[in-house]
Amino acid sequence: MLVSMRWLKELVAVDLPVSELVDLMDMTGTKVEAVEVVGSALEGVVVGHILTKERHPDAETLWVTAVDVGGAEPLQIVCGAQNFNAGDKVPVAVVGTTLPNGMTIKKAKLRGVVSEGMNCSATELGVGGDASGLLILPVDAPVGQPFAQYWDLADTVLELEITPNRPDCLSVAGVAREIGAITGKPASWPGSKPEESGAPVTDSITVTIEDPALCSRYTARLIRGVKIGPSPDWLARKVAASGARSISNIVDITNYVMFELGQPLHAFDFATVAPGGGHADIVVRTARACERLTTLDGAERVLAEDTLLICDPSGPIALAGVMGGAATEVTGATVDILLESACFDPASISRTSRRLGLFSEASQRFERGVDPNGCADACDRAAQLIAELGGGTVAPGIVDTYPAIVAPRELTLRMDRANGILGTALDIATVTGILTRLGLTVVTPTAEAEAPAVPSAAAILPVTVPTFRPDLEREIDLIEEVVRVYGMEHVFSTLPGGRGRIGGLTLEQTRRSRIGTALRAAGLNEAITWSFADPADVDRVAWTFGPGEMPVELLNPMSEEQALMRFTTLPGLLRAVANNQRRGVVDVQLYEVGSVWWTAQGRKLPKEREVVSGALAGSWDRPGWHDQEPPLDFFDGKGVIASLMEAMGVERWRVRTAERPWLQPGRSAEVLVGGDVVGWLGEVHPSVLDAYEAAGPVTVFELFAPPIIKAAREVHPFADIPRMPAIKIDIALVVGEEITSERVEQAITSAGGKLLESVRLFDVYRGKGVAPGKKSLAFSLTYRGEDRTLTDEEVAAAHAKIVRKVTGAVGGELRG
Amino acid sequence: MSIIEELQALQTEAAAAIAGAANLAALDTVRVAYLGKKGSLTAVLRGLGGLSAEERPAVGKVSNEVRQALEAALEVRQIDLSAAALQSRLTAEVVDVTLPGRRRAPGTSHLISRTVDEIVEIFVGLGYKVAEGPDVELDYYNFTALNTPPDHPARTPSDTFYVRDLTGEATAVAGESDVLLRTQTSPVQVRTMESQKPPIYILSPGKVYRRDIADPSHLPQFTQIEGLVIDEGITFGDLKGTLEHVCRAIFGAERRVRLRPHFFPFTEPSAEVDVSCGVCGGEGCRFCKGSGWIEILGCGMVDPNVFGYVGIDPERYSGFAFGMGAERIAALKYDIPDLRHFIESDMRFLRQF
Repeated sequence: MLVSMRWLKELVAVDLPVSELVDLMDMTGTKVEAVEVVGSALEGVVVGHILTKERHPDAETLWVTAVDVGGAEPLQIVCGAQNFNAGDKVPVAVVGTTLPNGMTIKKAKLRGVVSEGMNCSATELGVGGDASGLLILPVDAPVGQPFAQYWDLADTVLELEITPNRPDCLSVAGVAREIGAITGKPASWPGSKPEESGAPVTDSITVTIEDPALCSRYTARLIRGVKIGPSPDWLARKVAASGARSISNIVDITNYVMFELGQPLHAFDFATVAPGGGHADIVVRTARACERLTTLDGAERVLAEDTLLICDPSGPIALAGVMGGAATEVTGATVDILLESACFDPASISRTSRRLGLFSEASQRFERGVDPNGCADACDRAAQLIAELGGGTVAPGIVDTYPAIVAPRELTLRMDRANGILGTALDIATVTGILTRLGLTVVTPTAEAEAPAVPSAAAILPVTVPTFRPDLEREIDLIEEVVRVYGMEHVFSTLPGGRGRIGGLTLEQTRRSRIGTALRAAGLNEAITWSFADPADVDRVAWTFGPGEMPVELLNPMSEEQALMRFTTLPGLLRAVANNQRRGVVDVQLYEVGSVWWTAQGRKLPKEREVVSGALAGSWDRPGWHDQEPPLDFFDGKGVIASLMEAMGVERWRVRTAERPWLQPGRSAEVLVGGDVVGWLGEVHPSVLDAYEAAGPVTVFELFAPPIIKAAREVHPFADIPRMPAIKIDIALVVGEEITSERVEQAITSAGGKLLESVRLFDVYRGKGVAPGKKSLAFSLTYRGEDRTLTDEEVAAAHAKIVRKVTGAVGGELRG
Repeated sequence: MSIIEELQALQTEAAAAIAGAANLAALDTVRVAYLGKKGSLTAVLRGLGGLSAEERPAVGKVSNEVRQALEAALEVRQIDLSAAALQSRLTAEVVDVTLPGRRRAPGTSHLISRTVDEIVEIFVGLGYKVAEGPDVELDYYNFTALNTPPDHPARTPSDTFYVRDLTGEATAVAGESDVLLRTQTSPVQVRTMESQKPPIYILSPGKVYRRDIADPSHLPQFTQIEGLVIDEGITFGDLKGTLEHVCRAIFGAERRVRLRPHFFPFTEPSAEVDVSCGVCGGEGCRFCKGSGWIEILGCGMVDPNVFGYVGIDPERYSGFAFGMGAERIAALKYDIPDLRHFIESDMRFLRQF
């Protein structure tokens, strides 16, 4: 909200420098978003003296003037206004000036005559509503003086962030009261009782509220014989400083009183709501099916059935609290005015303005909550101003429909509770002082009334909360007010004591953090990708959901490309790889630990599971001066998983061939932990790479985290360090391509007996000497006796047995 | 030539050969040639058996002297040649030490994870546990139980992501849903309060979602770190002291911290916490928009209404809650101008931290 310092100072005696006031407001909960000095912007506009005025040779309506602006020579200015004479003083915008409407003054020819500036109207300078002619200044205005200085335009406007709980601060009076409370200065503003004459208002206006829940109070006054015209400068200035445009005296007055007191008002052209008979029959009700209203902005709006309306017998005339109707608008021809000052239900106004996309100063105030007990005062104040400035007479009396009077709230504040919550030792006087300055009434215990046995620290204070503070509903709300104004900086800082609590991570959390540590040690970099997925991803990766399962759909996504929750991290990782490649980064090694989601018909909350996934593209590094860096492939991915499993202490895991539609056949596998499939690993299918515009090979994996976390171990049993010498024998077996190395190794291990300590594959060979369709697998076998040095004969016997059994089991033969 | 003369000639000849040996292999050849089983000195010594008893002592003496002399010369030469061989090997093995080292660079933690981990560690040190919950949540846990009024703007579909409800319930069929992407990690706090009796000291980090268009200072998906304490006798001073400690632990001991009153539906009293600007030290600069302060987090004492939802007696227990954005903290701490870096997975960004 914008608040003019100049206006504020009329209501509260602030004597602090602005910067100190801003700090104080910041520290008591009214955040000052910006401080703007206005009025000094009219740089280049000076007081000018019109020396001569001659008819333009080629244009009937234009004048050629010579204007003294204090320079060496008078300026020649062509002017279209008609309301001035030679000898007048007027504001002049010299060449180079930019006016508030954005127009920059240039030296130009108008119908062949050079013009070196512009004589200005009040509207062009943004200082008044009169656009009909030049702003004629008093004769004693000093020629050449900057206009802003002469007109005393300078003002400081504070832009305040008013939190939703403080509707009372959406007015200059409310802010003045708040500043009074935090500075200890008294704040006050004019009340008014308009002078009344003529037939009573009740002869002309009746008001019916159909639903008091949506409109708690409706007051109305009638002002007769008004002359619509521009606002006086003081009014136009205050309205402008509050962020509104000056329109006419009547509209400006309704805005002025709203800015001053926080009560939105609406002025109807009485003649349009009291057709013929001179009687207005106002009904406040919700819309009926298919009702329409053309609002002030010219838009015809079809009204939803719960829209709150102001109606006359012919139908809707205004959207209550949001915007008036075009047909009943105050115009230049308006004579009598029906002034509305009412209180509408915040939720109803909020729904209407959101639904229609209409957010006005009025609707914002109603949404936050307007004080029903302030309606009549605001109505009186505006009626009086209209009579004063618009020359009308106020009809006697006020129509006031107020079915259920809202009474001030009675609360109690326990001193020990306040100090207990705050960690302070405030006394009654401090607390009472703060609440009283905020406009609350506190009954302080006197020595006689209070039993002497009750110490003041345990006193209970009865507090009456005025209705302009609907946010103060409970004791805790009062405690908040106390600490806010007392100053949080004065509260002593402590740490919670508490008995015997132990912080820390759970076993699952610690294990999960080990996943990241292991993957980083393996050379992967952590990524965080979107939790959202593109519905097209389902087809792009040819994802297969389980029976009855489906992706999780957002009802209001940011874009169609993010309309689902991700069901796999694969698309996100592929996009990351592709983005890097597009930017010239070819070596990409990523991992992510995060959730994926899927759901099924009948479910409310989806299934949410954590996965650990990775993507490898390019190489580990660019080739160096010494190292060749081979391209990353399936086995780098498998190596990462092996490192992960080792770091997690998961022993029983393996990989087996399995197809996935998004993986390249023959280079794809399932990962099993303890016999259960926990995820997949492989090189991305070339057609999927194409869909994501990524260059291959890209190796990816995705594993469910919970089974790995569950299988993880912290403690690994000690294995004795062997002391006996080992004997190593290499063996090369030629087997069919269909025989996996895992199978050969298992055959060796199972045939090995006690003496075979370990088996290690060290070469896979195809080519010369090996028949097509076959491969040679070379293993290094280590024999060792647990308690003795083995003899050559023992080892030879064991080895021969292995060769015999293995060649038999896998159909292989020893390579020569 | 007498045997003695012969020995002396042999010595002269061997000495020359030893001196002439260019390397250890040549020296060994010399040794074998004179002192080996078939060496010339050995042959001479073998011939001693044929000498007379008078000649024998003198010849024996000389021959021993010759042998010792040769052995000594061999040893000296051996040492010299070894040293020379080592020297030439060392010379040959000189490298350019400014060539890059050979390494497999370890991977990196995402800056957001790192920030979360750092903050978790601070709170674990203060006796907190870490609580977690689902990203897809019920309206009840995200809003209602946190005292959010039904018409609060945060609940509108322009602010919050809603998820299709597949239960087939009437409201779901009408296109409405009470399933949403959590906009804060506070639902975890509610779930904790439901399932656990005080004292509660928890930190709940996690992803949250709000319908903001991604720009330099907003992401529709970001990371929130919230905390909750409920115990007997918890005061606003405890909240203030805790957050002052935490802010200094994150940003540095020299920072000043202030609490500014604010409003949140689920806390009362509420405050925003500012840390003195790290760029200007609090003087006011462009970075802090002249204020000297940077807003870091929101906090407050748990509203009694929230206690009401979870069945904790507000007369017996009090507590505080706070929340901060990991992206914002990381951006401030590491001077990152655009939050979108966090979600783009550019290797050149990830590898920096």
